[in-house]
Amino acid sequence: MHFAVCIKQVPDTAEVKIDPETNTLVRAGVESMANPYDITALEEALRLKEKYGAKVTVLSMGPPQADSVLRQALSMGADDAVLLSDRAFAGADTLATSYTLSKAIETLGRVEPVDLVLCGKQAIDGDTAQTGPGIAARLALTQFTYVIEVQWIDLHKRRLQVRRKVEGGFEVILGPLPALLSVELELATPRRASLPMLINSFRAPVTVWNAETIGASAALVGIKGSPTWVKAIASPQVHRAGPRWDAAQGVRPAVTAALDTLFSDEDFAAGFLKGWKV
Amino acid sequence: MAKNTRGIEVAEIIADKCIACQICIGECPVGAIELNAEGVAQVDPEVCVGCGKCFDSCPVNAVRFEKKKRRKISEPKPAEPGAKTVVHRGVAVFIETVEGRGAPVSWELTGKARELAKQLDAKVLGLVLGSEVGGVAEEAIRYGCDEVHVVDHPLLARYLSATFGKALSDLCAQVRPEILLIGATALGRDLAGVVATRLETGLTADCTGLYIEKETGLLLMTRPTFGGNIMATIFCQKQRPQMSSVRPRVFPMPAQEPQRKGIVTGHQFEPPAVELPEIVEFIPTGAEAAADIVHYPALVVAGRGACDHASLSLLEELAELVGGVVACSRPVVQAGLLPYERQVGQTGRTVAPRLYIGVGVSGAVQHLVAIQGAGKIVAINSDPNAPIFRVADAGIVGNYQEVVPELIAQLRQRKS
Ligand SMILES: Cc1cc2nc3c(=O)[nH]c(=O)nc-3n(C[C@H](O)[C@H](O)[C@H](O)COP(=O)(O)OP(=O)(O)OC[C@H]3O[C@@H](n4cnc5c(N)ncnc54)[C@H](O)[C@@H]3O)c2cc1C
Ligand SMILES: Cc1cc2nc3c(=O)[nH]c(=O)nc-3n(C[C@H](O)[C@H](O)[C@H](O)COP(=O)(O)OP(=O)(O)OC[C@H]3O[C@@H](n4cnc5c(N)ncnc54)[C@H](O)[C@@H]3O)c2cc1C
Repeated sequence: MHFAVCIKQVPDTAEVKIDPETNTLVRAGVESMANPYDITALEEALRLKEKYGAKVTVLSMGPPQADSVLRQALSMGADDAVLLSDRAFAGADTLATSYTLSKAIETLGRVEPVDLVLCGKQAIDGDTAQTGPGIAARLALTQFTYVIEVQWIDLHKRRLQVRRKVEGGFEVILGPLPALLSVELELATPRRASLPMLINSFRAPVTVWNAETIGASAALVGIKGSPTWVKAIASPQVHRAGPRWDAAQGVRPAVTAALDTLFSDEDFAAGFLKGWKV
Repeated sequence: MAKNTRGIEVAEIIADKCIACQICIGECPVGAIELNAEGVAQVDPEVCVGCGKCFDSCPVNAVRFEKKKRRKISEPKPAEPGAKTVVHRGVAVFIETVEGRGAPVSWELTGKARELAKQLDAKVLGLVLGSEVGGVAEEAIRYGCDEVHVVDHPLLARYLSATFGKALSDLCAQVRPEILLIGATALGRDLAGVVATRLETGLTADCTGLYIEKETGLLLMTRPTFGGNIMATIFCQKQRPQMSSVRPRVFPMPAQEPQRKGIVTGHQFEPPAVELPEIVEFIPTGAEAAADIVHYPALVVAGRGACDHASLSLLEELAELVGGVVACSRPVVQAGLLPYERQVGQTGRTVAPRLYIGVGVSGAVQHLVAIQGAGKIVAINSDPNAPIFRVADAGIVGNYQEVVPELIAQLRQRKS
């Protein structure tokens, strides 16, 4: 079997903020890392490989620096790594990203067909969760999102069964390969790389492919293939800034004043008194 | 203004404004721009030809470039592939059904669609998929749809990405809406990506604001990114429909109008020619999730400043008094005091109670984006500069251990 795991390099989003004074990004000390969901997807691929035997290829679309997330994947035990890097890929939205990744998976498949594609549920920066379903739609893969357990794979019947999160509960679902999984963090706890693996990963080759290698049309990748545009960015808006009272001047009057303000709204007062039945 | 060794006045990137969207890199005709190790775009002055394309395309004005010095460079105009040749009209809403009724988020979106449709002088179209869903179509009209398009087929009794993905994209190809809104539920997020890909159009995720731009009639979609730290406004210039997903409880629930009239049209379904997955079992989550915080009209939200076991009963007392339940911020979940199901925020639940009382919650953006729909916000915090005061209708600066008992006492009085 052949598994392909899609890994995105992301900034540590906790660190990226807008300076309210200058309306510019504050990114001091912001570090890049592999999207945590994708490392979980890789861990699952490696466990399935240990159980059923398979080759694990990791893929990332990004600038040359994204090489580092692929080396991390190699140090954990991935067999092959492919970096999709080309100026033409820059500025991609999810439509162009899923196209580029699909073309790369097709290209991999010409050497050894891909049975299972694993993605994270979402990337922590773009946060759309759209890339996985996009790849599945393009390659006509059986789509399983929000996966929290891969129960079994039947190599002969070419079936797999997973447990996934759905509204109001969980679903156990069974379907044919080839398939695409997008995974939740609770699926698996990623392993740590052993020291020899870590050292080897620095020397291991990372294959770099461009638009031509994967036979991608220039009109469908990067900014040219992206229907969505970012028009502007801003800090999240804060609307109301109601009055505030200091309990240091007396707890009782502060609470009374705050409640008077709230209850001056008649709808609110009526709602509260009738247990919100209005 | 910087010049290169050939005397050309080149563009420069203002590093702290750049959001690494890479649009300039894609636009640059000579490949002079790259992301550097800090994740900021950088112009190679020796390669730059001074055309100004990066300046024109930058969404955040992060390019310094003297416009009048611009050099024309000849480049063949790319052909627009089939854009706008067919007319797309109407604001469509995908109506998700739960146990034979429309999901609340679908009606919230129908309400929003009415607003947008009014500005566009267009109709609101409800798109209903399922098996025996005639009742939902009627409900859709009462909530504000002018036309309801129904695909009723036994295969659509339960959701599968393959069947719903094909049915909804086929329906859009027939009905040709200008805008398509989908609730960002687990199901909606699974479906939206498939449909956008099949229709080869743009899809903006988890929008918190939708507006029509007056001059162009385009849909402007605002959404949080970078974990909620930044709001981005996104639009879809050429492809149709302009697609947007919106989380539940971001927009208010409209009232039903029992006398409203509308047209219901049935459509055929051609099942996909692939082997379909089979749902083996559905396991409903236990009582913990049944007490879903989103359904309570009032929430007392514990933050890190009120994160100790001893205070929990005090907060529960307050919650009961106001007809609600205790919820919390992320650190409280991380500390193990309350389960994840109680977490409010970007990575927890989006809530819209009539009354939100934050106790020892600082008001980080990741928390605030999820309480935008709240009726009244009350903040209790010992730090007068805590950001939550900026969104609160009423704030009390003080130690919650003193404030909350007094609040309970005075609320009891008002109730009796
Ligand atoms: C401010 C801002 C807002 C944006 N908003 C939107 C928007 O609303 N709609 C839109 O279409 N695009 C949007 N984008 C662009 C979007 O971030 C990119 O298209 C990105 O390449 C993929 O989307 P994502 O980050 O949401 O990933 P998701 O779709 O959330 O990622 C899911 C999974 O797909 C895989 N994956 C995604 N990207 C890659 C990659 N480059 N390499 C390898 N695997 C990958 C990973 O396994 C990942 O876990 C936005 C970008 C910015 C900067
Ligand atoms: C990608 C991402 C996603 C996130 N998702 C979420 C999310 O879904 N939900 C969420 O909540 N957070 C989320 N966070 C975390 C968020 O950034 C904040 O760290 C978090 O919301 C802070 O929680 P807090 O207000 O309880 O704690 P703090 O920020 O530590 O604030 C505690 C407050 O309590 C006050 N205080 C202390 N003692 C007292 C006292 N005795 N009486 C009264 N006040 C007191 C302090 O003045 C302070 O303001 C996310 C972060 C990231 C990066």
